[in-house]
Amino acid sequence: MKVRGHGMAVDAPPGWEVRIRRRLPESGEPEARPRPVLHAATIALPEVRGDFGGNVTGLMTQDDVFVSLFEYEPSAAATPLFASHKRPVPTPQDFSPAGLQRSIAGQSGRQYFFQESGRAFCLYVVLGSHARRAVLVRAVRAVLDSLELSAGADS
Amino acid sequence: MTALVVGLTFAVLLLGVLVAGLLRSHAEILRSLHELGAGREDTAPRGPVDVPFEVRSGVVGPGSSMGIAAPDLVGVTPSEEAVLVSMSTRGSDTLLAFLSSGCLTCFTFWDAFAPGRDLGLPADTRLVVVTKGREMESQSAIRDLASPGVPVVMSTQAWDDYGVPGSPYFVHVDGAAGRVAGEGSATAWEQVVRLVREATEDRALTLRQTGDDEDRGDGAHREARADRELLRAGITPGHDSLYPGGDVPGQEEERH
Repeated sequence: MKVRGHGMAVDAPPGWEVRIRRRLPESGEPEARPRPVLHAATIALPEVRGDFGGNVTGLMTQDDVFVSLFEYEPSAAATPLFASHKRPVPTPQDFSPAGLQRSIAGQSGRQYFFQESGRAFCLYVVLGSHARRAVLVRAVRAVLDSLELSAGADS
Repeated sequence: MTALVVGLTFAVLLLGVLVAGLLRSHAEILRSLHELGAGREDTAPRGPVDVPFEVRSGVVGPGSSMGIAAPDLVGVTPSEEAVLVSMSTRGSDTLLAFLSSGCLTCFTFWDAFAPGRDLGLPADTRLVVVTKGREMESQSAIRDLASPGVPVVMSTQAWDDYGVPGSPYFVHVDGAAGRVAGEGSATAWEQVVRLVREATEDRALTLRQTGDDEDRGDGAHREARADRELLRAGITPGHDSLYPGGDVPGQEEERH
């Protein structure tokens, strides 16, 4: 089922939940505009969530996955961190328990930085089980393959 | 000169007709007010007068979604978040509360969902409020009414999908089966909670009594096990992969 908002769209398979919202700038970013963030998961997404899965990853079982696509200020696209113009395609080899923002036993994660149409993104993926990463990465790929990013966040 | 006289005569006649029409309309209004007892005291009818007056009953009638494969919700939240809420996420039932900003009975429920109040639902049941979409509902009014901890999805499509006859209306979705387990209206949140708790406990009791978790290898248990495995793989009832030909049997009958 397709969800579209803030210049992002994704066609999620049954059993997935998706939210696309505008994240308010933090206090240290007075000039920043609200930037979109997309969350997708195989569990019911709580109303209050951290950008990178706070309040979510702790609820996951070994069969679950969580995806966050976080957009930074357009100026970030000029920095080396976002130099890649290729949209990431996760593979099981990419994942490691050390890649988690918040370490939870058994889980595995990975961050990818890239830019597209002048928009700077971080893709963060958490797998409920490092041991089952081959199966879980396939589920993530099914969602990411349907991801559409338009040229502007306002579209 | 003759033309002027004819013209003036015609104008006078036309004005006369207009005045007569206005007087008649005025007389009808006065007569209606008189019948309602709002006329002068000396001309008002003596004693009470029956005036036709109808209101809708507080509880809307039953809908028609019982047992159907529960469609996912797609819409926006009052704070402009695009949202897809799944009805078949692992391990959780969903209670859909179809509310509006205009119905008086709905305010009882908006109040019941206020922050800090214990909803009283079973632990594995989440509440999702569904209002009509922005084209039919006031987004700012819903934002004022919504509780921060309770998801609100604005989606007219969801009202159509579940055949909601009016508000307030509640649909209980069995998350494991991805199907509507119960539906109906109520005037108090406590009524809804009691019915959901009873339904959840009855289902758990039935599972224990039939030993559903224990696979005895007969046809019913094989079917139940297959259903569980398919759901774990994200294949819900009506999933496209179950019907390679594209025709989902019974889908039309289920929805109507």
